[in-house]
Amino acid sequence: MADFTAEVFQNEFLSDGATDVHAIVSVTCTGAGTAGGPGTASDGSTAEIIIVDTSGSMQGRNMESAKHAAAVAVDQIADGTWFAIVGGSHVATRVFPYPNARVAMVMMEPGAREEAKRAISHMEPGGGTAISTWLYLADELFATVPQAAQKHAILLTDGKNESEATVALDRVIQKVTGHFQCDARGVGDRWVVEELRKISTALLGTVDLIARPEDIAADFASLVEKSMSRGVSAADLRVWAPQGSQVLFVRQVAPTVEDLTSRRSEVNPLTGAYPTGAWGDESRDYHVAVRVPSKPVGSEQLAARVQLALGTEVVASALVKAKWSDDHSLTTRISPEVAHYTGQAELASVIQEGLAAKAAGDEATATVKLGRAVQLAAETGNEEATSRLRKIVEVENEEEGTVRLKRHTAKLDEMALDTASTKTTRVRKA
Amino acid sequence: MTEESTDMTTEAAAVVTCPSCGEVAAPRARYCEACGTSLAPASDGVPAVLGGTGVPGVPAGPAEPVGAVLDLDPDSGEVPAARPCAACGGRVAEDGYCEECGTPAALERDHFEEQPAPWVAGVCDRGVRHVRNEDAMALAAPEDAGRRFAVLVVCDGVSSAPDSDIASLAASRAARDVLAGYGPAGDRSVEGTVTQRIAGWTDALVASSRAAGQAVVEAAEQIAAEQIAAEQIAAEAGGDPVREPPSCTFATAVVDGDLVVAGWIGDSRVYWLADSGHAEQLSVDDSWAQEMIAAGVPRTQAENAPQAHAITRWLGPDAPDSDAHCAATVPAGAGWLLVCSDGLWNYCSAADDMFDLVTRFAGESDGDPLATSAALVRWANDQGGRDNITAALARLAPLG
Repeated sequence: MADFTAEVFQNEFLSDGATDVHAIVSVTCTGAGTAGGPGTASDGSTAEIIIVDTSGSMQGRNMESAKHAAAVAVDQIADGTWFAIVGGSHVATRVFPYPNARVAMVMMEPGAREEAKRAISHMEPGGGTAISTWLYLADELFATVPQAAQKHAILLTDGKNESEATVALDRVIQKVTGHFQCDARGVGDRWVVEELRKISTALLGTVDLIARPEDIAADFASLVEKSMSRGVSAADLRVWAPQGSQVLFVRQVAPTVEDLTSRRSEVNPLTGAYPTGAWGDESRDYHVAVRVPSKPVGSEQLAARVQLALGTEVVASALVKAKWSDDHSLTTRISPEVAHYTGQAELASVIQEGLAAKAAGDEATATVKLGRAVQLAAETGNEEATSRLRKIVEVENEEEGTVRLKRHTAKLDEMALDTASTKTTRVRKA
Repeated sequence: MTEESTDMTTEAAAVVTCPSCGEVAAPRARYCEACGTSLAPASDGVPAVLGGTGVPGVPAGPAEPVGAVLDLDPDSGEVPAARPCAACGGRVAEDGYCEECGTPAALERDHFEEQPAPWVAGVCDRGVRHVRNEDAMALAAPEDAGRRFAVLVVCDGVSSAPDSDIASLAASRAARDVLAGYGPAGDRSVEGTVTQRIAGWTDALVASSRAAGQAVVEAAEQIAAEQIAAEQIAAEAGGDPVREPPSCTFATAVVDGDLVVAGWIGDSRVYWLADSGHAEQLSVDDSWAQEMIAAGVPRTQAENAPQAHAITRWLGPDAPDSDAHCAATVPAGAGWLLVCSDGLWNYCSAADDMFDLVTRFAGESDGDPLATSAALVRWANDQGGRDNITAALARLAPLG
């Protein structure tokens, strides 16, 4: 049985008249088991769909690598898991089960695995790219297995979503949100980070870049393995805040930055639930900010209850407090965790804004934003971001954040910086 | 809370100024009377601010002192059921905070209410700035008395002495029980003409204040016995083993038919607030300010002096005597009898102002004494709650 714990990091002391309470809540899950229960054989409570781009641009090495990767992924899917393979171009096609099959998804077993690999080997590239149709079909297929509590998809593309209007994709993303989780992967340098991030963010997954086609297989294998290791199919983060207060934001800050604020659904007037998807044995950190009416010095008040709930059952709870004090040595102290993740969240946004400005030809803004990014990456000890940034800018002074844009940069380096921008490092232990 | 003054001169070596506002503190005061900042030395184990848990480098507050949280129902021995939130009336969750407004649940000793009869009630509250409630209250209004009868006792623990919260509660209950014995249904019932009864109640009040004083002495001895081991440890660690004995003030009002008698030691007060608009303070503070006023110093000047709140009489092992001063009145009409600690009257000292305040809250509460007491306590907290607050009220209807 999965065991959840929640731990709070904050400075609970507020100066006279202060109203804003910030806290980092670290939620850890242990003993999650594997998807569908103990052992390797699943009991039909999980479902997995592999979506592979089969547009004309995939012709050649990309297509061959993608087919190989899909076959490897099929090997990783545990017996007893509902599964399907979708091929996507300007339309979506069910590759397996075969289009003429009477069932939309089948349960994995050795025979199905061999037949699925045969179907994958027959995939042929051709046509355009309309990703909304792929998601729409996946949603229809998942809908046929309501008994599966945990639904996960992997989406691979190499190109821009060029065969349809942006609004079409947005509409379908909105429609399928909450139905299944989806990790999105782009291969090569002709796909658009923002498009895939939109999908993975809404569908509680990750986005990443695969620079070389031969790396697709390893990535797919690890994605399926990770999905299969999530023994807790769905959990909500719940935030209670007192009467008369305002939740300023709820943000996942580790392992990646995801703003959850707008995903709130009401449990009761004082409590909101924020979906967090499936959990394996892992730890995630959340930054919660609440504005409460100021109270007289000496008063104490609970500013938030932050809980993890499986369905209606609360399995972990943490208390965020506010204590007003006139002792400056207490109130001016900044929680290192809050400071660290505030910096990391800003790092993610300045990288994205800086790259967007650079793409738009606004070099002045790009220089300032990426300079600030270099400074924040150094301050928060995010070495991965530092090394990625150094491929895009010449650093003059890391501490002050003064940089020059490099003249000739590889598109892949920019995309790698962009996709990795939301990955955070944890607080360094003092 | 109130400081006691051992003599009227201030030794230079004993002068302590508040680290927060610079106010000169009375000798051995634990909190600044001006801003409520703790004046406790670090060796006391009490942090310089309230709370202090959960922050590295700040020593945690002392563990809850033995016996500090008293069961409020010693007769039944039952632990009272979880009460609704004192701030908003919401349900208090298992984590100890209100489910509606997030206010921490009050300890029984930090906030309690009594209403022995529909016309008699009181509220005793920790306030905002102090970590402990050293005020205490004990009320009685037996229904079988045959005539109107009530006892209201308020004691305010002296903040320079630790464990005054235990002493003040013991004192207030001892006094209440003695006075109940002089009531119409008691075995030493005070009877006779008004003059005879005033004399009888004066004796009764002195007996009750002596019993209260004795209760403080006994509490002090018990505390001292429990702390011998702790003090040896403190002494070995180089700490200060000298502890002040607990002490407290005393203010009592007895309603006996048409008669109201007040008794006091220290600066907790008894007010009679008649509906006619006549308002008077029946008690006379045993305080430095009052002595200066009596000597001709203007009231505002005397009350705003740094040592204004130093009391000249108190209950406790080091008290010169434990005999209450008394005053009596025969109210002509209906009105409110109020017994309160300085946590309330500090914000509203003059009798006429107190009349306005009580009349306003009584009007908003349909004349219910419990709701009115609660409103008075809430109001004092809203003014800053720099001290513990106790307000006990009896509603006197016109007789016959």
